[in-house]
Parts: sequence; structure tokens; C-alpha cells
Amino acid sequence: MLHIHQTTCISPQRTFPHPDLEELHESVNSRLSVIEPDYTGIPQNALRRMARSTRIGVGAAFPLLRRPEAGSSYSSVTSPPSIDGIIIGTANAGMEESIQFMKQIIDHEEGMLAPGVFVQSTPNTIAAQISLLSRNRGYNTTHVHRGLAFENALLDAAMLVRENPRHNYLLGGVDEIGAFNYNIDYLDGWYKKEALSSKRLYEDNSAGSIAGEGAALFLVNDRPENALARVRALATLHSKDPAAVRDQLRHFIDTRLQAGEKIDLFLSGENGDNRLLPFFLSCEDILDRDIPIARFKHMCGEYPTASAFAVWLACHLLQSQSIPPHIIKRMPGSTDPGNRGDKNTVACRNILIYNSHKGAQHSFIWITGTHALTTRPDR
Amino acid sequence: METAPLKEHLKKQIIAFLNLTSVKPEDIKDDQPLFGEGEGLGLDSIDSLELIVLLNREFGIVIQDPKEGRKVLVNINTMVDYIEKHRTK
Amino acid sequence: MSKVFVTGVGVISAIGNTLAENHMSLQQGRCGLSTSGNLPTRYAGILPFGEVGIDDGTLREKLRVQDPGVTRTSLLALHALKEAIRDAGMIPSQLGAGDTALVSANTVGGMCLMDELYRDVNRDANGSVFLSSYDPASINIYLQSYYGIKGIVNTIDTACSSAANAIMYGARLIRNGLAKRVLAGGADSLSKFTINGFNALHILSPEICTPFDRDRKGLTLGEGAAFLVLEREEDIRDKKVYAEVSGFANSTDAFHPSSLSAEGEGPYLAMKGALASAGLKEDKIDFINAHGTGTENNDEVESRAMIRLFGEPPPFLSTKANIGHTLGASGAIEAVYTLLSLVHQEVYAGLHCKHPIPGTGLLPIQAYRRLPLHHAMSNSFGFGGNCTSLIFSKAR
Repeated sequence: MLHIHQTTCISPQRTFPHPDLEELHESVNSRLSVIEPDYTGIPQNALRRMARSTRIGVGAAFPLLRRPEAGSSYSSVTSPPSIDGIIIGTANAGMEESIQFMKQIIDHEEGMLAPGVFVQSTPNTIAAQISLLSRNRGYNTTHVHRGLAFENALLDAAMLVRENPRHNYLLGGVDEIGAFNYNIDYLDGWYKKEALSSKRLYEDNSAGSIAGEGAALFLVNDRPENALARVRALATLHSKDPAAVRDQLRHFIDTRLQAGEKIDLFLSGENGDNRLLPFFLSCEDILDRDIPIARFKHMCGEYPTASAFAVWLACHLLQSQSIPPHIIKRMPGSTDPGNRGDKNTVACRNILIYNSHKGAQHSFIWITGTHALTTRPDR
Repeated sequence: METAPLKEHLKKQIIAFLNLTSVKPEDIKDDQPLFGEGEGLGLDSIDSLELIVLLNREFGIVIQDPKEGRKVLVNINTMVDYIEKHRTK
Repeated sequence: MSKVFVTGVGVISAIGNTLAENHMSLQQGRCGLSTSGNLPTRYAGILPFGEVGIDDGTLREKLRVQDPGVTRTSLLALHALKEAIRDAGMIPSQLGAGDTALVSANTVGGMCLMDELYRDVNRDANGSVFLSSYDPASINIYLQSYYGIKGIVNTIDTACSSAANAIMYGARLIRNGLAKRVLAGGADSLSKFTINGFNALHILSPEICTPFDRDRKGLTLGEGAAFLVLEREEDIRDKKVYAEVSGFANSTDAFHPSSLSAEGEGPYLAMKGALASAGLKEDKIDFINAHGTGTENNDEVESRAMIRLFGEPPPFLSTKANIGHTLGASGAIEAVYTLLSLVHQEVYAGLHCKHPIPGTGLLPIQAYRRLPLHHAMSNSFGFGGNCTSLIFSKAR
């Protein structure tokens, strides 16, 4: 579908600018909030109007857009090529600004209102701000299809690299915890009623998850040379039936994997909501017993474009050649005492991500590394 | 009439209203252009609409035509002149 | 790559609840903008709006929708989509097939219920029935479940160019072999939120909007929905065809969050890109349904960009003078109007414009007339500098 050449991620974990996933950052008040960088180099006059989702989206995009200044927090990032288009997936960017504007409408009874937040209240504000800051006049769009917003952005980018060989695109998935994202979904029962640490996310047998947020950006094109990873296939589905999702997974594996290829790691979007568990378990059920399973929502929390974090994590795992112990759910062979040393390592090239949003929107994303990943469960 | 306290107050209001987090009141010179990069404070057309709202909420001044507003919103001195002449609170 | 054709359309707006009603209104030069509405805003009865003439209750009854959480925006979208599906003669097995996609656009989702949303955001318990109906995706998620769509489903929000991008995305899904048929469109309903937003920007006209007129005072907001059924050339056989989706392009102005650059780089690039994508020279475009919002900025910039590209632009108009700016629906409704012109080989009167903008000298089409049309363009530009142009070509 497409090749990923550079990635950045602002998340609740230490992912920006240099990833260090060994130490796990825990949720506070059932929220996993991002660790914001200092945004050195981004003009203050642009930053001052941005709500958090725009800030983290632009902040994560920034190193992929321009030659970093010496001494800035981006200086370690290699210089990027020119960008031919910007494609952002976000369910709710602009919603915080919308709520602020509504407050004005109500407080001032539709009187004289300050328009700044209204201008920033459309979800395309992230992609628009990135184009403004980089003076990019190319393709620019924003996909907002809730739990499949990032997947549609990914599909758009895959079509673009096919339509325009040798063009580079900036692809991203961004959402924030805010009055809208959190309060409305809390009322609707999607977050835990009782405070819970993200470290115990998978142990709690109750409804709801922990709120999360993040911005994961990717520089993509059609060229395999020097790529970090390749997105091989994507499938999406709207369904409330775990059996239908399982059938889709079976079909995905049967039709997309070539003879002799196998999934080396299943990256599951399990989120601690016991109502969604049947989706994840029924998928795991049809996987070969020797396929390791890892999870990521204890790192980024639940949000509609969390699959973008998962794609970032997959790229990181394929690159770093190690799997942090806290993400492992099942590691076949690791309990076998006779299986140590080199024989213990699992060559890992193919990662399959399964994510579900609210048990209604589902996606499978298959990512292949350019070199083998070695899993070291005893690390 | 002593305008220094009003100027100081206005600068604080502008910084808060426009979220100019990196600017301190003493950074804004009384005759510094509010709009435009370089010499100016770097404000734009949306800020000018915001400042018209600020004048309304803080001083009860009604400016209907944004173009009229731009004549008032040149720098701190011009704003203070206008406020003193037209304020209703 | 497959050629993409429009085989069915549906539309609901301030000048009609059906395609036929909209067509007749356009031929008659009817304006659907008035101050007689009944919106929950202090501007009701003061400012003109382009309201769809059916209330929520009647829409529900007509569409037999029981679910109390369905918003007006979803009802308008369903109304237009139903008509498009019927018009294209689509059967349930096609709707439920994995190769049928649904791509639609809107800007403010279920925010027509602004007061309800604001209350829900600020309470700790006992949320309303609308909790999952506020976000932009809620409309398409409702339509997906209503029809059991199994193919790709997407919602696009690039402000006022959203629906044009939805049509473009839909056509690209077919060209890339990811869908055989696509339901593509857009919907938005009037909201206290957008009314106050555009008013705060001082670009809401106190009188009915007058696109491209020297004395224009801003835009008039409207509401509505439209859907197009897009199909591959090889599946059409003897079906009725409106036109081919022959070109499209999306470009960014990269100038300002809410206004266009003086030279109109984004609009220029979008129109130029659409021509390149269709493989057409400038002189092949016979007609343009312009973005033409009626704001000082847009109409002058769009005029300059048209002059820059075409020299002498082809006949053009803005149907926002009839229905107002329908935001996330506008790209789809205006695409439908462009298709009507192509199918019937006629152009409609660009209403309310008496004096050309000084320096451009451009006047929109002044009266209904028959006109041979082969290729027609529809422009949509949005906040954030998002500009999209579509080209439709007469089917042979």
C-alpha cells in the first residue's frame, strides 16, 4: 500500500522526540494525557490560538516538515524531503474550540462574540495549520470518521502514493482529551466510572476504558528504499457482532498473506472495557497458538485515532528490534525453560494491528518491517 | 489626564484576550504597530475582530464596521485615545 | 482505471425537497432565502436564512424514523440519500455488498442541537439521547447502519469544501478499484453555532446574499443535503447516466485560517489541477458553478482566479444566491445543480447580482437560457484554505 519513511509521535509516553518505552507512564485520574514538548521553532503567533489537538498535531508534524534549527528539540531529526500533501485523521479536532465558542454564545446571549475560536473550530484546523506553517499548497484533507478517521486517512494516502509515484505525503492521526471527547463519552459510558490506573487496565472486569490522546505522524511514499516499514494491507468494518469481525480477520489472513508469510505479532487494541473483550478474544481465538500477542492501550489510552499510535508503535518495534515487556500479553515459548538464548528469539517482520472503537468500528492494519525484529521476552 | 494606568491595563487585557503568552506588558511599546510582522506585534485580521470585542466588553464601545476598527487599532496610543473619547464604562 | 459516472442523485434544499422541485426552482430563478424562519436563535426573523421547508417531525414521519437520537442533519442526509438510491435503481443486495462505499461530508455534525450539546458537555450524569449524534461522523454512521453498508465508509470535514472532497474521494475509490459504486454527498443543517460564528467574523449578510455583486455584504447561511451515486463505466450498461466525473483536484491556499489570498493561489491551483486531471484545456469548460459565497473576500478572489486561469471565464453563477451557503452540503448540492445544467443543456440565472465587482467586470449568468454544455466545473473553497474543484462531463 505504502512505505513509511519517518515517524513522530506525541503521546502519554516518552515518544517524542526520542522514544524510550521501557518506563511506563501511568494515567492520572483515569486519563492518559500527552507529554507536550516545548514546541521550539513553531511561531508563537500560530501557537497561541491552538487548542491541544492542533498543538500536538502541528508539533508532531513540525520535524517532518522543515530543516530543524540547531539546538532545537528537533535537531536530531534528519532533514525531510518536500511534502506533496497533508492527510489528517481526527475524530474531534476543533471540538474544544467549538465548546469554547458555544460558551461565548451562551454567556453573551448571541451578542458580540470573539471569532478566533470559531475559525479554529473546524476539524481541518490541524491540516490547515500545518499547510500554513509550511506554505504547503498541495493536497490537503481531513478525515473525521470517528474510530476509522485514521484508517480512512491511511487509505487516502495509499491511493495518493499509487496515483502520484515519487510524491511524499504527510499522514497523521490526532485526537485530544477534552470537554467534548471526555465528557460526552463519559456520559455515554465509554470511560471507567471508578478511578483506575492504566497499569491495571486489563485486569479490571468492568465497562469503559481510560481516556487517552495523541498525535502520530508519518512521512509516506511509494519507495521501498530506506523505508522504516511498509503498510501492506488495511481492512475496515462496521459491525457490532464479534463473529463478523472474526470472519473478517480470517478472510484478511487468507486473502492478504502470501504463501509462506505469517503474522509474527498481533497488536491488539484491547482497552479494558469488558463489553469489547469478546471482539478481541474471538480474534485471538483464530490466530495460530504460536503467534505472540501484544497490547497498546495502556500506553496511549482510548481515543478514536488510537490506531495511529499503534502504527507508530509497530514501526518503532520493527526498528528498535525489542519489545517492552509491559506490552506483551502472550509470548509463546517464553515459558519453555529449555528455549533460551538465540533459539528463544522470534524473527518478527509482520505485525497485524487490530483495533476496535466502541465495538462498532473495526480495523486491521498489516505492517511489514524492512528487517527482522527479534523478540526478547526475558529482557 | 494620566493615561499610563489605562495603557498598562489595556496591554494586560490584550495579552490575556489574545493569549499572547510569550509577551509581557512592558514588551509592548505605546507606538508599536499592533499588526504586521517585524516591527509590529504580529496580529492579524482575526485579532482585529477580537480586539473590537475586547473594546466592547471592557469599555462598552461599539464599533460596527471592522474597517472603522482598523483605524482605531493602530497602536496602544490610538486605542487609548479612542477609549477615552468613547468609553461608556 | 475505470471511468466514473453519476447514475443517480438526490437533493433537499431551501428551494425544494426533491430533485424535480430543485430543478423547477432553478429554472424559475426562485430564491429560497428569507427571514420567515423559526430557528432557535435571536437572529430568527432578523437575518435571512435558507431553511429547508420541512420540520423535524414531518421529516421523521415521512422517513419513518423512530430513533429519538437522530438529528435534523441525519434526517436531511437520509432524505437525499433515499432519493439518490431510488434514482439510480440500486437494489438492497448492491447496498449491502462489500464493494459499495459511503462517503459523505458535513461541517458541524449534530451541532444543530447546540444547546443540547452544551448541556451534555457540562453535566455529570443523565446525558441526553443525542450523546452519539453530535460528532461529524454520526450522520454517516447512522446512514451506514440504516442501509447495512459493508464497504468503505468515510466522513470528510474540510469546512466548506467538505462535500466536494467526499465526491473526489468516492471517485478515487472507484478508480483505485476499492469500490464498484459509491454513495457520495454531504449534509448540514442550520445551527445557532454557525450563525453566530459567521456573524462574529462579520461575514453574515444583513440582507439576502448577492454573490459577485459590487455591493455584496456577506453570505447567507442555508441547509440541506445531496447525494450522488457514482458507478464504474463497466457496470452501467443501459442505465440512465447524468455525467462523467471527469476531473477533480484539491489544493491549499496556505495563506490565512479564514480568508483567501489576494491572488487566489488555492482556488487557481484547484481549478487548474482539475483541468489537468480531466485532460482538458481551459477553453473546454463551458460553465462554472462558482463557490461564490457573497463575501467581499471570496467573490473577488474567485473572480481573479477565474480570470487568471481562463482569461475570459465561461458563463458562471453562484447558486448560493438561491439556497444560501449550505457549508458541508454545498459541494454536493452544487454538484447536483451542475449535473442538472449538463443533462438539460441549460444554465440558470445567477440571482441578485446587478453590478460587477470593479476591476473584474464579471457578471454571473443573468437569465435562464439553453446552452450547449460539454464540460462543467463546480468550485468549493473552505476555511483553512482548503480548495477543491470538480469537473463533470456530458455522457455520450
